[in-house]
Amino acid sequence: MNAPSQPEKKTFWQAAREFLYGLFGMEFAEHALEMRASLESLFMLGTVGDMIGVPVLPPYYSLRLLPYVIPHIATWKRRVLREREFSDEHDYHLEGL
Amino acid sequence: MNTLWIVVLAVVVIYLAYNFYAKQIDKNVIQSDAKKATPAKMYMDGVDFMPTSRNVLYGYHFKSIAAAGPIVGPITAANIWGWAPALAWLLIGVSFIGWVSDYSAIMVAVRNDGNSLSAVSHKLISPRTRPILFTFIFFYLMLVAGAFMGIMSALLAARADVPLGIIMLGVMGFLAGQMLYKWKMDLILVTAIVVVVTLAAMMLGPFRAVNAEGKLDLTQGPVSSAVIAFNNAINKISGDQAVMVVTDPTNADPRIPAPGADGKRPSTAVYNADTGEIKTMPSYLFWALFLLVFSYLAATLPIWRFAQPVNYIGFWVTLLTIGLSALGAVLAPFIKPAIGAFALEPLKTWGFAYEATKAWQPLWPMLFVTIACGSISGWHALIGSIGTARQLEYETDGLPVGGGAMFTENTLALLALVAVSIVGTGGGAGRFAAGVGNLLSVLFGDKFLVFGTALGFGAFMVIVLTVTQLVFRVMRVTLSEWAGDVFPALKNMHVSTVVSMFLTILLVLTGTWVYLWQLFGAANQLMAALSLLIVTVWLREQKKNPSFALWPTLFMYITTLAATLVTARNLYVTIVPRGGSAAAGAWAMIIIAVLLFVTALIIGWDGYKAYQRYGKGAQAKRAPAAADD
Repeated sequence: MNAPSQPEKKTFWQAAREFLYGLFGMEFAEHALEMRASLESLFMLGTVGDMIGVPVLPPYYSLRLLPYVIPHIATWKRRVLREREFSDEHDYHLEGL
Repeated sequence: MNTLWIVVLAVVVIYLAYNFYAKQIDKNVIQSDAKKATPAKMYMDGVDFMPTSRNVLYGYHFKSIAAAGPIVGPITAANIWGWAPALAWLLIGVSFIGWVSDYSAIMVAVRNDGNSLSAVSHKLISPRTRPILFTFIFFYLMLVAGAFMGIMSALLAARADVPLGIIMLGVMGFLAGQMLYKWKMDLILVTAIVVVVTLAAMMLGPFRAVNAEGKLDLTQGPVSSAVIAFNNAINKISGDQAVMVVTDPTNADPRIPAPGADGKRPSTAVYNADTGEIKTMPSYLFWALFLLVFSYLAATLPIWRFAQPVNYIGFWVTLLTIGLSALGAVLAPFIKPAIGAFALEPLKTWGFAYEATKAWQPLWPMLFVTIACGSISGWHALIGSIGTARQLEYETDGLPVGGGAMFTENTLALLALVAVSIVGTGGGAGRFAAGVGNLLSVLFGDKFLVFGTALGFGAFMVIVLTVTQLVFRVMRVTLSEWAGDVFPALKNMHVSTVVSMFLTILLVLTGTWVYLWQLFGAANQLMAALSLLIVTVWLREQKKNPSFALWPTLFMYITTLAATLVTARNLYVTIVPRGGSAAAGAWAMIIIAVLLFVTALIIGWDGYKAYQRYGKGAQAKRAPAAADD
């Protein structure tokens, strides 16, 4: 990833627009992302679950699907192998208390 | 004192604290470095770990932490001690403790691979800290749900102009979820529809309920009179007799009216001024049941279906009400000086006078748990470490996001204090609503006063209700996590929700409101002390100067432990001797207080040992979470 090593300077209006997005829109985007990610995690588990020790599909089919899932494997493994607490799930986010 | 002085004072104090203290700590002690990779960059998974602009995160973090706490706390404290101590604690607390807690919790998580505070405490302090923290969470949730359910049920039963807005909030919540996620409608259009309808319903409450003298008469309006008739019909079930009778020696129960001009409290349909008895009528139980059903839907339906849209609408209602009130507060001294002037006494009492048989509310330590959020809140630290820390793009964003959001929340608490201080009479929520009505009338004219007051009640209810529904959601998950293995039925979300609600309603019916609130505040502040303790131990382990976190830790820890004991003593002295259901509720709260006290002592002792250990050069063990990477 080629992210800049220093924070970008932004105009007041850019900053205000981002702030309003964080205030009003981000929770919906986050939730949509999490719902999609949980479905994709399930798909990955079904297809290449043997990579994390859960062999669901016979390796023959896994290998045939491998080229399609390669771009997602690294992030998927990071996501599913991380130790979690119940508060990590969006449904149980403790916001607004 | 007038509203403008509060605005000036807040601007000056926050500017000085942020620029001359917070920035120095960020630069010289934490030494945040934009070139260091954050967990969001190192472990990016596109969902939890995701580099996000600091402006976006600032808005998101603020929305996550700003809720009922900064509104209810200052109102309650101003009514007990006067506005001056509340103002002092809000400004001093946020300057030296509040931002420290929020900011440093985020930075500790950032420097520990994005692990939550409980995982960091497992690694730095001791393994048993983690389950103890979760014990805290459960009782914290129960207390906050109990305190909020009590105040909301009383408001819905007593104010006939409030229920329509709240019913419409639920209906619009369902509609918004459907429109956004199923019909895929534009967010701005959906917002415009549901927020306008909800606001209109809230202001319809007192519609045509103003009598010939220009005063509010809720028996006249079509909406409010219908609600009154409905309440009366429900009360007929028991022949207009109380289902149970309780007393509140603190006089803070929302059903007790405020004293009149002669200093005496008048009797009402549910309150006997001579005996101090408060009647729990069937209508009160009905509205409590309504709130439970509302919260049940929020706790068990998918979050997008109900809880999230309700919170979204609630946030808009609150933002508009509070934002316009803030504008009114700034303009009041110029347009209507009479409204801008404070009517509440600056100092009602220090509270140190001790009488063996009466409730004791000494300024120290009780003020510091009565106002939690707004000055400092332990909950913010948990949220910051779980969510925000995993999305920080640059380490240098930690201060503007964590510290900045805390300072912004402080202004919300100050506004609540202003609203309650400009009105001379009324109970807590009533005084807040009347204050909002007055501030809005500065902008929209005197005829708007009754609608502004209705909006004040509506906003207050919305703030509290949106918190309560989420509390039940988290409670049922916590209960399943803990007791699900022993009692498999609790793994069923409907069973765990009902059990959580049952325990809470017992507290509502038998508990004493102000003690519930103060115990909740104590649990919250204890959590703040523990998060600051984790930060202090981490700073020690990193060989950095821990002073900026150590002193706040000690202050919050000692203060909160003392407040827990005082609350337990108040319950024992003022409620237990009365016997009956109130005594059972008091004993339950005393047990919770003792539990909080003992668990805090255990964590404090473990923290002290860890602090000593790292002072001698020990290295932190790797937590299982980190070792598994």
